Amino acid sequence: MAFDLTDIILTFVKIGIILGVMLNVTPIMVIIERRASALIQDRMGPNRVGPGGLMQPFADALKFVLKEDIIPAKAHKALYTLAPMFGLIPALTTIAVVPWGRPFVIPEMTIFGRRLFEGGRLFEPIVADVNIGLLLIFALASLSVYGITTAGWASNSKYSLFGGIRASAQMISYELALTLSAVGVLMAAGSLRLVDVVARQSGHFLLFNTIQIPAWNFLPMFLGFVIFTVSAFAETNRLPFDFPEAEAELVAGYHTEYSSMKFAMFFMSEYMAMMTMSALIVTLFFGGWDIPWYNEPPTFFGFLLSAFAFLAKVGFMMFVFVWVRWTIPRLKYDELMRIGWKVFLPLAVVNVVVVALLITMGWV
Amino acid sequence: MIPTHYFLILSAILFSIGVCGVLTRRNGITIFMSIELMVNAVNLTFLAYARQNHSLHGLVFVFFIMAIAAAEAAVGLAIFISLHRHRETIDVDEANLMHW
Amino acid sequence: MFELIIFFFFAVVTIVFALMVILHRNPVVGALSLVASFFALAVMYILLEAPFMAALQVIVYAGAIMVLFLFVIMLLNLQHQAEPPTRPVQQFLGFFLSIAFCLTLLFYIVKAGTIAALPSTPFVSDARAIGYALFEKYIFPFEMVSILLLAAIVGAIVLSQRGVSLDRRPD
Repeated sequence: MAFDLTDIILTFVKIGIILGVMLNVTPIMVIIERRASALIQDRMGPNRVGPGGLMQPFADALKFVLKEDIIPAKAHKALYTLAPMFGLIPALTTIAVVPWGRPFVIPEMTIFGRRLFEGGRLFEPIVADVNIGLLLIFALASLSVYGITTAGWASNSKYSLFGGIRASAQMISYELALTLSAVGVLMAAGSLRLVDVVARQSGHFLLFNTIQIPAWNFLPMFLGFVIFTVSAFAETNRLPFDFPEAEAELVAGYHTEYSSMKFAMFFMSEYMAMMTMSALIVTLFFGGWDIPWYNEPPTFFGFLLSAFAFLAKVGFMMFVFVWVRWTIPRLKYDELMRIGWKVFLPLAVVNVVVVALLITMGWV
Repeated sequence: MIPTHYFLILSAILFSIGVCGVLTRRNGITIFMSIELMVNAVNLTFLAYARQNHSLHGLVFVFFIMAIAAAEAAVGLAIFISLHRHRETIDVDEANLMHW
Repeated sequence: MFELIIFFFFAVVTIVFALMVILHRNPVVGALSLVASFFALAVMYILLEAPFMAALQVIVYAGAIMVLFLFVIMLLNLQHQAEPPTRPVQQFLGFFLSIAFCLTLLFYIVKAGTIAALPSTPFVSDARAIGYALFEKYIFPFEMVSILLLAAIVGAIVLSQRGVSLDRRPD
């Protein structure tokens, strides 16, 4: 394993950028969610704190930090404290294999009389380019079940336990549909790495021999896209699948007994998981960092353009998450499980067959 | 490069921890978890030898072991649920109807 | 050098959590320790140049089988039943036999000496190679395992039903 100091420093820079984005998602999404929900429900959202309510997340963070940290009397203290951390780990680590920009060549530069990056150096904006890319995301995402289950059990309260068990059952049921619907994309790309998946989507389809449509995967694999997106909603416990925190039914579900920073950690892990799922949907089905009709040059400028394109697509996808939340009512629990097993799983298998047909006929 | 016998030693220790769990505990679920620990120790041995001999057959065998262990866990837990429903306990010493 | 540090750290983690599985009296803590142990084992699999197997270990074992264990423990409310202590004779014999077994295994492993040197070419163990092996050479066991899983699903459903009487007539 030959790596040198430049590799290590560049990796730390990438980790810093990714962590900076992930940890800032929560405050940004808090204000966007509240204002967007107000827009949809024809009312004003929070607009007192700061200009147009933009400082609201700071007020929320201050509230979380200053609240009293309660541990229920008969709760299992160790697991009660560890449960929010189980939720944060998959949320923070799964983004490591998602490519967020165009690889570019850092030109050789001379700073303070020292020559750096001799002969140009390829900077790949992906924190960990492992061979098993997408499988790593599925592996770490399946660990997010434990945070909720442990939180529900360790609170020693029946509402929390019900919320926790319902959440785990829902999440493991929709993991199957999630994985199977991504298989179509992997078949087209021929590899598990997300870099190859994005590279596959950088061409164009020719419509009527003249119009060029970007070869993003959501066009030929529309069924897979729909199943993946709906399963992503179920995985991140967002409405219409938010049974684990069903307000008005289970008080607050698995985080009923949590307050202040522990609750804030659950809150953060939900938004970070939402961001990772949006990034994944964009990478698998919307071409990742690819800008449609433009061939980005492998320079820093091209990288910036592609990174902005990626952020714009992910931001739009997250807005769709918020939009759906405040538009569609919650499903009943047995409907939810029925749809997960009896509708999505067969449809995902049908999607695999259809994509295999398309690949054999050379249309993808 | 880590020599193969390091992994074999770890696998032997894990296997004997599993054996100890099966022999010592009375809680049925804990016994079952110790059995899973033993299966994983065997997986580790297979993979250690697969890497040393560059044999893909070892990996495929581990794949099958994982699938079969999943099936075994499902059926075993269904049996435990059945036992709990009838006897209100999962103490394996209490499941002694066929004892002489 | 880094690999040795990672190996020893995660080997210690695996063994510590495995010991917690068999020694702690609360089965929920035991199940979560087993999850941590499986996760550390997945790191071992990565060190063994089999990243696909590591991902499978986390997805199948730590992500599905242990969730099933946790479901059963939580739904049957097993943590409140105090497990009656094992008889001292059984405990002593159990520890003694397993430690003797462990020492015997270790003796023979160390006696076999350092196993032959590792080949220097990298091990092609990615998903493509395993996929080809599964669908070409091992296609028959592959299909048999899928039938086995079907039998396991049906068996689990039948076993966990409440007693269904066979002579119920629809009214």
